[in-house]
Amino acid sequence: MKTMKNLARTSALALLGALLLAPAAQGVPPHPDKLTYPKFTYQPPSAKEYRTVLKSGPVAFVAEDRELPLVSINVALRGGTYLSPAGKEGLADLAGYLLARGGTATKTAEELEERLAFLAASLNSGYGPDRGNVSLNLLAKDLDEGLAILREVLTAPRFQDDKLKLRRDQLLNDMKSRNDDTADIEQRERGFLAFGEGYYTNRYTTKASLESITREDLLAFHRRWVDPRNVTVAVAGDFGKGVSRAQMIAKLDALFAKWPYKGEAAPPVPTPTHAMAPGLYVVDKDVNQGRVSVMLPALARTDPDYDAALVMNDVLGGGGFTSRITNRVRSDEGLAYSAGSGIVGGVWYPATFRASFQSKARTCAYATQIVLEEMTKVRDAEVTDEELQTAKSSFIDTLSRNFATKAQTVNVFLDEEFTGRFAKDPDYYRNYAARIEKVTKADVQRVARRLLATDKVAVLAVGKKDDLLNPDPKHPVKFPELTGGKLTDLPLRDPFTMKPLAPAAK
Amino acid sequence: MTIRRQILVAAAATALLLGGPAAAQEVKGEEHVLPNGMKLLLVHRPDEPSVSAGWVAKVGSANERVGMTGISHLFEHMMFKGTKTLGSKDPKRDLEIIEEQETLRGEMRAEESKMRAAWRRGEVDDLMKPENKTARYKELEAKFDALVKEQRDLLVKNEFDRIYTKNGASGMNAFTSYDMTAYFITVPKNKLELWFWMESDRLKDPVFREFYAERDVVYEERRLRVESTPTGKLDEAFDSIFWHSTPYTWPVIGYASDVANITKQQADDYFATYYAPNNLTAVLVGDFDKAEALKLATEYFGRIPRGKTPPPEVTTLPTKWEYDLRFEGEADTNPTAEIRWRTVPFQHKDSYALSILAELLNGRTGRLYKSMVLPADAVATQAYAVHNGFVGPAKYAGSFVIGAEAKEGQLPPEVAAKALAEIERLKKEPVPADELRKVKNNVAANSFRRLSSNFPILLQLMVNEAYGDWTEINSGPKKLEAVTAEDVARVAKTYLVKENQATALVSRKAGSAPSADDAALAEVPEQVRPMIKQALQQLAAEKDAAKLKEGLAQMETQAAQVPPQMKKGFELLVTKARERLAELEKAGDKK
Repeated sequence: MKTMKNLARTSALALLGALLLAPAAQGVPPHPDKLTYPKFTYQPPSAKEYRTVLKSGPVAFVAEDRELPLVSINVALRGGTYLSPAGKEGLADLAGYLLARGGTATKTAEELEERLAFLAASLNSGYGPDRGNVSLNLLAKDLDEGLAILREVLTAPRFQDDKLKLRRDQLLNDMKSRNDDTADIEQRERGFLAFGEGYYTNRYTTKASLESITREDLLAFHRRWVDPRNVTVAVAGDFGKGVSRAQMIAKLDALFAKWPYKGEAAPPVPTPTHAMAPGLYVVDKDVNQGRVSVMLPALARTDPDYDAALVMNDVLGGGGFTSRITNRVRSDEGLAYSAGSGIVGGVWYPATFRASFQSKARTCAYATQIVLEEMTKVRDAEVTDEELQTAKSSFIDTLSRNFATKAQTVNVFLDEEFTGRFAKDPDYYRNYAARIEKVTKADVQRVARRLLATDKVAVLAVGKKDDLLNPDPKHPVKFPELTGGKLTDLPLRDPFTMKPLAPAAK
Repeated sequence: MTIRRQILVAAAATALLLGGPAAAQEVKGEEHVLPNGMKLLLVHRPDEPSVSAGWVAKVGSANERVGMTGISHLFEHMMFKGTKTLGSKDPKRDLEIIEEQETLRGEMRAEESKMRAAWRRGEVDDLMKPENKTARYKELEAKFDALVKEQRDLLVKNEFDRIYTKNGASGMNAFTSYDMTAYFITVPKNKLELWFWMESDRLKDPVFREFYAERDVVYEERRLRVESTPTGKLDEAFDSIFWHSTPYTWPVIGYASDVANITKQQADDYFATYYAPNNLTAVLVGDFDKAEALKLATEYFGRIPRGKTPPPEVTTLPTKWEYDLRFEGEADTNPTAEIRWRTVPFQHKDSYALSILAELLNGRTGRLYKSMVLPADAVATQAYAVHNGFVGPAKYAGSFVIGAEAKEGQLPPEVAAKALAEIERLKKEPVPADELRKVKNNVAANSFRRLSSNFPILLQLMVNEAYGDWTEINSGPKKLEAVTAEDVARVAKTYLVKENQATALVSRKAGSAPSADDAALAEVPEQVRPMIKQALQQLAAEKDAAKLKEGLAQMETQAAQVPPQMKKGFELLVTKARERLAELEKAGDKK
C-alpha cells in the first residue's frame, strides 16, 4: 500500500524506473490473496475399485503398490471389549493381544517371535472397545510364509501359559500407575461422567478379573468370536514377483477358507443409556496445572446434522489456530498450550462434545468461563462468511491426505465397510466435498443451538482443588457458579478394584 | 484437537529411528544453494496430489546459554505470529504499540528485579503467585494489559494460519530440539507458490507480536509436559546431570524462570543471528515440478539477505568424567532403572556399531527382554535400549541408553545390575551371526517402512540435514549393514564403561499409590505396617529357594507364639513367602 502511494507522488522519470523494475515486483505479489493458482479438483478414489467379496466370506479391499518391497495385511474383527463377560474384564484384551504373542499350534511363542523378527515382519493383534485387529507387515518375498503364519495365528493360537502370566504381570504393573498421571485420571472420569459406571467402556480390568482369566477362557473366547463371518480385510503393497491382484485375492480367500471351528457373529456394540448430569466435578490431585473438560451429549455420525456439527465445531474450537476457543484461551490470554473442542460423531451411538484445556490451577475457572462464552456466542450469532469458508476448506481441500498411500486408502474403505456406511452410502467420500459445501451459516447456528446447551454442561477439573477454587485475583471467577453452584468431589479410585477410594484413605 | 508447535523430547525410546532407508531404496534429492546461502532440497514423489514442505534452522537449545534457556522453542512459537503484511489491520499502529509495550516491560523488569531480590532475602515465597507482585508492578501490568487490548482490536487473529487453512493446507506445525528447529506443512499441489510466499514472508519480515502472552503459553506448555507429569521433573534433573559440561545440560523447553523472563530484544537478536538464510535448509517432498520450484525459491527466498555475521559455532566439547554417576529419586511412578553412557555424535564412525548394539538389546526378541522380562524369575516388565534417539541430542555428543521398569517386588538396583550383566556379556562373547542378521534385517525393513509417504521422508531429511548431512538417509543404512560382530564387542568395551556411565534409580514415592500388596497391607495394624512392608520387599527379592524354605519352616513353628497385633502381618508374610517359594521352585525346574 505504502509503495503505491509513494509511486503516485514520484516524478515521471522515477515512475519509468519503477516500471522497468516491474517484472520482479509482479513476481512477488504484495499479499497472498493476490496469488493465482492452477486449477485442481481432487477426485477421491472409490471403494468399489478395491472391494471384493472372498469366496470364503469376508469382504476384502486389495490394492497393488510396488513402490516399496513391502506388503501389509489388516484383518479387522467384529467384536470388542464389550464381549468380555462381567467378572472377566480384560478377557477380550488378553485374547486379542496374545493371538500374536502367545504362539501357535506348531510354533511356541518364542519360535514365532524369533521367526517374525528374523523376517523383519511386524505382526500385531488386539481388541479395542468396538473392534479387533490383526495386522501383518512384511517384505513381499516372504508373503507366503507370512500368510501361513497368519492363518495359524487366526485358527490355532497356542495362548501359551507363561505368556498369559507375563501379560497379566505387565497389566498389573500398568494398573499400579492408574492414579499417577492426571491425564489418565481425567480421561477415565470423563468416561464415567459421559456414559455411567455400568457402560462397557467403563468396566475396567481389575486385579481380580485379571487373575480369574485362564487359558481355557482365552481359547473359548477365540473360538467363539474369531470367525470369518466377523472379518473384513484390507491388503496393500507389493504381492511379490509375478503375483497379480487376482492371485493375491485367491491367497486371501484361502486364508479364511475351511475354518476349523464354528464361531458366532458378534452382537452389536451396546448403546449407552446414561444421561450426563450437569455440574462441576473435581478430582483433587497435587499438581501445578489443572486439566479441564467441558462436556455435553452430542450426536451420532449418521445424524442429518453431522456435517453442520463438524463445521460448527471447527469454527468454535476444532480448527486449531483458526478457531475461537484456541484464539481466546491460548493466543489472547496465554492461559493454555492446548485449548479447543471436539465432536466425535459416534459410529454406533451418539458420542459427546468436549471442549478442553490445561491451565495453571488458579486460572482454570477463568478459562472455563471463556470457553462457555464462546459456546454461547456461536449459538447466539451466525459465524462469519470467512469463518465458514475456512472451516469448509479445512475439510474439503485436505481430503486427499486420507488417501496418501494405498495402505491408507484400503484401510479407509475397510472402515467404511466395517461400520456399515458403505452399505448405506457407497460413495460417501465421492460426495464428501459437495455435502460439506452445502452447509450454511444458518445450519451452523441451528446445530449450535441444538448441541451447545451451556446450562447443562458437565465440567470435569482434575488438579489441586484448593487452587482450582482460589482464582487469580486478576480474574476472580468462582468456579462452581459456572455450573449453577453445584460441585461434586470425585475421589480417586483404587487402582486394583476401580472402586472409589474413601477420601480419608488417600 | 490440534496440538501445534511442540517440542520433541528425546526420552521416548519408542520413537527410535535409526537412520534412513536400505541401500536399494535411495531418496533422490536434488540439492541447490541460493546466492544468499539458503539450501534447497527437492524430492519428487507424485503419489499424492500434495507437497510436504518444510525448512529447518540449524539452531536449537544447544545454542543457548543459562539465563535464556528455552529461547529457541519460544522463538519457534513466535514465528507463527505474523509479519509486516499479515496479522494486523493497522501494521503501523501495531508496531508502535509493540514499542510502547517494550518500554513498559522495561519498567516491569526493574520491578521484577526488586521482587527477585526480595525472594533472595526470603521476604516472598513464590514469584509466580499473583499476590506477591508489588503494587507498582500491578500498576504497570494494568497499563500493559490496556495496550494488549488495543493491539488485540487491531489484530487479524492468527492470519498466518487462516490463509494456509483456507487454501487447503494442513498439518502446519514445528518442533524444537537440542540441535534444530523445523517448520513444516502439507499443501495441495497447485498451492506451492503460496508456501513460498508465506515462508519467505515470515523469514523476511516477521513481527513478534503478542510476545508476552505467547511466553505464558510456553510456560503452560512447560507445566503440561514437565511440571505436572509424574516423572517430568525427575527426567529433567537426570538429563541435566548426565549432560553436564555439554550444551545439552539444560532442557529444550528451558528452565522455568528463564522462560518467564526471556525478553523480546533477546528474541530479535536471536532471529538476526540464527534465522539468516545461510543457516537454513528448505526441503520439498511431493508432487511438483523441480524447475518451477527452483524458480520460485530463487524469486521468493532469494529476497532475504544473507546474515551479517555467520552463526557462532558451538565450541564446548564434553569433558570426560572418570566416575560412575548415580542419581536416585522418587515419583508417582512404577520403579525404574535407566543407565546411560556418553558416546559419540551423529555420523561418528562408531555410531553405527553402537546403533546395532542397541538393537541387539532392544525389542521383544532383544537380549534385555529375554533376560529381564521373559524368564520365570523376571526382574522387569518392560525393557529398552537406544543409541542417539531420533531428534535427540546428537550433533555435539551422543548417548547410549538402556532401561527397564521393575516388576512387582523388584528394586531398581537389582534391575540395573541385571541390565548391566547383558552389557558385560556383549563385551565378552561375540554376537552369533544369526542374531546379527536378524537385527540388520529389521534395520533395513524399517528403513523402507519410513519411506512410504511424503511427510516421514521430509522429516528425516530435515533432521539429518540439521545434524549435518541429509545424505545420511541413503548412506546410513549401508554403514549399519557393514557392522561386524567384532565392531559390536569393540564399541561395547570402548564406550559402555564405568567412566562414561550414569545410572538413574527411580522408586515410587511413598504412599503415592497402593502397590499390589498394599490392599493386603492395609489390613495390618498401622504400627507394624512399615516393618511388614520391609519384610515383604526382602521376600520378593529373595532368590535362594533353600534359604526361603528354611525360613518358612521356622516361621510356621513360631505361628502359635505370634502376638495378636502381629497376627495379620505374620499371616501375610507366610502367604507371600509360600508364593515366592513356589515361584522360585518353578523357575528352578525350568533350568
